[in-house]
Amino acid sequence: MKRFTAYVFLLALLLTGCGGPADPDTAQESIQVLAMDTAMLITTYGERSPAAAYACEDVIRGLEAKLSRTLADSEVSRLNAAGGEPMEIGWDAYSLLERAAAYSSSTGGAFDITVAPVVSAWGFTEDSFRVPSQAELDRLLPLVDSSQVSVTPSLDSNGDGPKAMVTLGPGQAIDLGGLAKGYAADNILEVLQEYDVPRANISLGGNVLAYGDRPDGTPWRVGIQDPARVGEQNAFAGVLALTDSFAVTSGGYQRYFEQDGKTYHHIIDPATGYPADSGLTSVTVVAGLGEGDGSGFPGTMCDAYSTALFIMGEERALAFWRDETMWGEEGCPFDLVLVTEDGRVVVTEGLADRFTLDEGSGYSLETVSRNGQ
Amino acid sequence: MKPFPKLRPTAWDGLVVLCVAALAIVLALFQWRTGPSQGLTAVVSVDGTEVDRFSPEALREGPRTYTGGGYTLEVALSIDYEHPASSALPPSGQTGLCVAASDCPTQDCVHTGTITRSGQSIVCLPARIIVRLEGGEPDVEGVDAVLG
Amino acid sequence: MKLTTKQLTLCALLTAMALALSYLENLFPLSLAVPVPGVKLGLANIVTVFALYALGPGEALLILLARCFLGALFAGNMNALIFSLLGGLSALGTMALLSRRRGLSVYGVSTGGAAAHNCGQIAAAVWTLGSTAPLYYLPVLLAVSLLTGGLTGLASACLFQGLRSTNLMKG
Repeated sequence: MKRFTAYVFLLALLLTGCGGPADPDTAQESIQVLAMDTAMLITTYGERSPAAAYACEDVIRGLEAKLSRTLADSEVSRLNAAGGEPMEIGWDAYSLLERAAAYSSSTGGAFDITVAPVVSAWGFTEDSFRVPSQAELDRLLPLVDSSQVSVTPSLDSNGDGPKAMVTLGPGQAIDLGGLAKGYAADNILEVLQEYDVPRANISLGGNVLAYGDRPDGTPWRVGIQDPARVGEQNAFAGVLALTDSFAVTSGGYQRYFEQDGKTYHHIIDPATGYPADSGLTSVTVVAGLGEGDGSGFPGTMCDAYSTALFIMGEERALAFWRDETMWGEEGCPFDLVLVTEDGRVVVTEGLADRFTLDEGSGYSLETVSRNGQ
Repeated sequence: MKPFPKLRPTAWDGLVVLCVAALAIVLALFQWRTGPSQGLTAVVSVDGTEVDRFSPEALREGPRTYTGGGYTLEVALSIDYEHPASSALPPSGQTGLCVAASDCPTQDCVHTGTITRSGQSIVCLPARIIVRLEGGEPDVEGVDAVLG
Repeated sequence: MKLTTKQLTLCALLTAMALALSYLENLFPLSLAVPVPGVKLGLANIVTVFALYALGPGEALLILLARCFLGALFAGNMNALIFSLLGGLSALGTMALLSRRRGLSVYGVSTGGAAAHNCGQIAAAVWTLGSTAPLYYLPVLLAVSLLTGGLTGLASACLFQGLRSTNLMKG
């Protein structure tokens, strides 16, 4: 009998030794998703990591189906094709239009979703690049005006959540591409919490959600692509050590074309109709998880601000960062990493000890604080 | 009809265990000697479906082509190809993959340059093709995500 | 090979047990240590060891084939058939040879079988994936097979110990 007990004990030991409950640090699921015109990599940890990762993919595909400008039957495409007639839109598009209006006013128009017709004129929507004539731009620029978009929430929703009626001005079109990935990141945060994911590393093409920390307990290492060395992998301006953060980078190097020896990139200044020429080569906006329930839309904010601050340039961007009163009602604290054309990397104080300059990049590092230089 | 089996471990059992353990160690040593890059596997997927899986070394026999969305990509070893971003060549002794040619409009896959480490990938959006390196040694010093 | 009713019943019973053990294997996330799809621990080898001694190699083969085909049918995954067949057949072949050696106990036989099982599975992975990359995990799997071999040996030893007084083993 003694021996039998010993056997049972040994058996139990063996079972726990080679099987056992899945270690939350080693249970990991990594999936790659092609959506929203970019390559996304979703890595979730924990016992429910596979279910969580695929739930994230569902969220992304669901949002893409509603918000894409290239899918003909998305809400956004139908709104753009409505020719100024009122159109009913769902909750996601509605809340993004509200966010867009807020970011547009807080950035003084540097962020504007109605810049879509101008972006199309440059061919960035269909990958058929061309330089539009000044006359064409002069004709299109009056259409870039968020105040002509009217949004009326309709409360008589019949069970499928709140909806809204939207009317665009005649000839106007909107592009939520500058918000959609950030909004997807905000939604993914909720999925991760719902599935009790202890840590995750979500990369949505220029948008990163670093959730929790790495399995070894150190912060996630997020590299900022060196705009001057685009053809190289692992060529970074520097590396950010992030936990529980959203981070988004906008840079002119991400999409561009060359014509007659000149380079034209995809971030169009709504004021001029030309690619922004502000002396910056990339802008990274980093924010915490906010309330943690996605209500402050920190991911969406980072996405919108990275574009807007790239257009505004170093001086205006830093002034905007310093002045909390400019952020609007739901604005949450954020920090910046700016890469300038003249070889400097400017980091705001909140990131000073989380940013490591890449030795090989040749940039000089400057840290700025809230109260003056 | 059958001889009743021995139920207590014997010295011969120890020999079997030793043989298996020795085999494991010899194989592990052999792999360790030939280097971690042996463990790297290139995984190619088109439109979310895996279509090919091979060791990068297999490209020494010649480049491989994949088709998706009406476009064709040629995947080759970087050392066999005069890449525009020549500074992006892998350090000597490492195997690097690149998309040597593509007829897609954006050419992003070609511009991505060389990938050498596990977890890196080359993506062609128009063709919906992903070439990804898997396996090998986990990359401790590398980054977990890239902004840009 | 002529089967008595008793032997046939035993075969059926063992097949059912082997299927249950194959299912139990899904609870062990081996894929965490060895990211090769389809590779399994091989707990059903307990049944093979037992059948080999209690019935004979022919019957053990029948049970193995029934288990593999039924298991693949239930899982609706014919790809898994290659894995379980190659793994199971290598294990059975090795164990049939080893069990002839009088010096070896069930532990040695099981360990040899477990190692052969994992080699067979890797061979299946190499075949289905068309890549030699899974070979990379063979050393890990061989180490794992020492554990599973010991476990199957222990389970079989307990089983034979319990059945020593019955007439089940006598044909």
